[in-house]
Amino acid sequence: MQSSYPDIPAGLVAHDLTDAAVELRVDPAIYPLQAVYGAAYIFIDRCYVFLDRPAADALRVTLTAKSGQADVGALRALIGEFANELISCAWRHQITQDNRVLLETVTLQAIAGAMGPPSLDDLASFDFSDQGFDDPLGIAMSWEEKHGKKPPPATTSEPTGDTTGDTTGNPTSGHGVEEPTP
Amino acid sequence: MTEPAFIDLRFDRSLYAGPAIDEAVKVFAAHGEFHMSEETDTWVVKLRALRPGPARTRRLAHELANYALGLTVQRGGA
Amino acid sequence: MSAATHAPMDLVAIRPQAGTQAFFRHRQVGEHVLVTNFEGNFLLLTQAEFTRYATGSVAPDSELFTRLSSANFLRASYDVRKAAEAVKARRGFLHAGPNLHILVVTLRCNETCIYCHASRANMDRVDTDMSKETAEKAVELALRSTSPFITIEFQGGEPLVNFAVVRHVCEYAGRRARELGKQLQFTMVSNFSLMDDEKLAFLVAHRVQLCTSIDGPEQLHNAQRKLPTMDAHQRAVHWIRKINQRYIDMGLDPTLYHVEALLTTTAASLPLWRQIVDTYVSLGCKALFLRPIDPFGFADRTRLRLEYPRSAYLEFYRNAVDYMLELNRQGVQILERYAGIFLTKILRGEDPNFLDLRSPAGAGIGQLAYNYDGKIFSCDEGRMLHEMGDSRFLLGDVRTSSYRDLVGHETVRAMVLASNLDGQPDCVNCTYQPYCGTISTFNYKNQGSIFGRMRESSVCAVHKGIQDYLFEKLAARDPHVLATFERWTTHRPREHFVQEPTSSPTTSAPPVQSPAEP
Repeated sequence: MQSSYPDIPAGLVAHDLTDAAVELRVDPAIYPLQAVYGAAYIFIDRCYVFLDRPAADALRVTLTAKSGQADVGALRALIGEFANELISCAWRHQITQDNRVLLETVTLQAIAGAMGPPSLDDLASFDFSDQGFDDPLGIAMSWEEKHGKKPPPATTSEPTGDTTGDTTGNPTSGHGVEEPTP
Repeated sequence: MTEPAFIDLRFDRSLYAGPAIDEAVKVFAAHGEFHMSEETDTWVVKLRALRPGPARTRRLAHELANYALGLTVQRGGA
Repeated sequence: MSAATHAPMDLVAIRPQAGTQAFFRHRQVGEHVLVTNFEGNFLLLTQAEFTRYATGSVAPDSELFTRLSSANFLRASYDVRKAAEAVKARRGFLHAGPNLHILVVTLRCNETCIYCHASRANMDRVDTDMSKETAEKAVELALRSTSPFITIEFQGGEPLVNFAVVRHVCEYAGRRARELGKQLQFTMVSNFSLMDDEKLAFLVAHRVQLCTSIDGPEQLHNAQRKLPTMDAHQRAVHWIRKINQRYIDMGLDPTLYHVEALLTTTAASLPLWRQIVDTYVSLGCKALFLRPIDPFGFADRTRLRLEYPRSAYLEFYRNAVDYMLELNRQGVQILERYAGIFLTKILRGEDPNFLDLRSPAGAGIGQLAYNYDGKIFSCDEGRMLHEMGDSRFLLGDVRTSSYRDLVGHETVRAMVLASNLDGQPDCVNCTYQPYCGTISTFNYKNQGSIFGRMRESSVCAVHKGIQDYLFEKLAARDPHVLATFERWTTHRPREHFVQEPTSSPTTSAPPVQSPAEP
């Protein structure tokens, strides 16, 4: 990254015309990580987004034009819009926490009001085999089963080993990332 | 013809979910060569495109990173 | 006429002190300060009155105190029960499911409109016609809605192109609604150019409410809505007059029963506000909806040619509505639909259930759109995005989806959350929040997320601008204007269009977009 913009405080934004990239330094004390994720996700269809931590007390968002080319003005506009989205996400994150009960109540009422009670047809097609008798709260379990020694938690899967060439996976999450066509 | 150079993608473990990176590498496996390792705070993916050209390798890295970020966000974070 | 500019209020000089006020939001409107509270009551205060309110120095024996207290703006006398009743009235629509069911019976259309919203297909694309089987399945889903009122809206393309399916749906749905005890009405949005006497006789006999598009005077209309014969306006006008006369011949009140016409405001419309209003009045229309152009369908491709700054739109809106108010003063009855919707919420404390202007919005919970091929979307804009290649708002298929799958779909839940203004930055602090709404598909299309960013949203700018205008008029207290506003918020149901009414419904959600009539 080579230069910054004169209308933005020093050290916050820099761009690199060679890579068609622009980066924004984010103070996590101001912008919670969930807000950074929210803003970043909204931009992955229009540019490449990369997050890292250049220092313990800082986050960095790097946006790269998918075309591989962008002028100074385009990069300034891109990071400006990202900054607007970021502040919107940060505030929404706070509002959602403040108004959680109200939002959940209205949503529940709206969906429940629209769905109504299940009909006999709905019940006829309901799968009672296992799922209906799951006991997520452990109500039917004995005290010993519920509070006895628990097995060690399953380890989270982590990236390990090498993967080369010939395996193909299917993107099932469908968030619209283009596959490269090398 | 010289072998295309590798790019190191370094994903901060506090920002990216490991399984998301695993899944992203699987999705793009047909298009590149990948070596994965881990450091204290970082998942490291060393990659290059199978077909030559630094632009292809850069694009592969960008697409992989976008995909990993998308999956991380969908999981609710790292 | 532009909004008069007034010096901004100096809040620092006022030095507000919390303590005596109940929750409120405020906004300067002309020389007044508008305050609204949680449940949507409003007061227009002078700056001196606002200063007393904001500093907590309203004398208990003053007239201002009485006004503030009776509208629930004071903490000490806050009536929780009254507030709860008001919120319940405003959100009555939450208790029932989709009442608007849009059937796209074909994508084929014989007109080529420069802004086409509907992602049309050419007349040889018979593969974009809905089949009778698909239509029946769509009707069955629609009639499963928990709403006691169901409106089936025929859209296209041009629905008259696939009239066989329109005819079949009218007969089939009418019969099924009677069997299920649902109140049902049909509407059709058509350019009328393929209308004939036989089709009209059927539509009138089956009480189908007819709507068309009129972009204004003939020259403007024909330049924007093109038939090979270049007479789209003449054909539409011919049938409007004929249909309106038919209603009169049937003994129906022409102020209530007439063809509804829809306007699409393009850049070319803006200087023609007077001619547009005059055209509508001359056609016997009692309402005009000054809709700005939106980004769906082909409109996106030609946007640069058609778009305009929102300030220019608001200038157009003010000019047109000022003129309409003047006509009303002279005895001509013509209503602006946006104003009618907002004023019903502001003055009556009710929600007229216009699906794009409520919180949460109606996508999925107030409407469903059924494409010609049986695919079902949260709303018509979601269907248009699908035709443009983005299926984000696809909920299911008439062949495989149950009603509860559709309205309980995770996309619907997300849209309900995203369009709830209590979770929206800017809206939470906006004085107009109790009366407003946001559109997830519009936000998604324009700003990349269903939440959007209201400060940069053209829809938000339009909503704020219109409400500024309406509150300026309310503050001015012109008795003629207030009397017109009173008429604009008086709902007169069009019972003739309800299919052989059954017993009274047990819930009170109003039918969708029920128009207030002047």
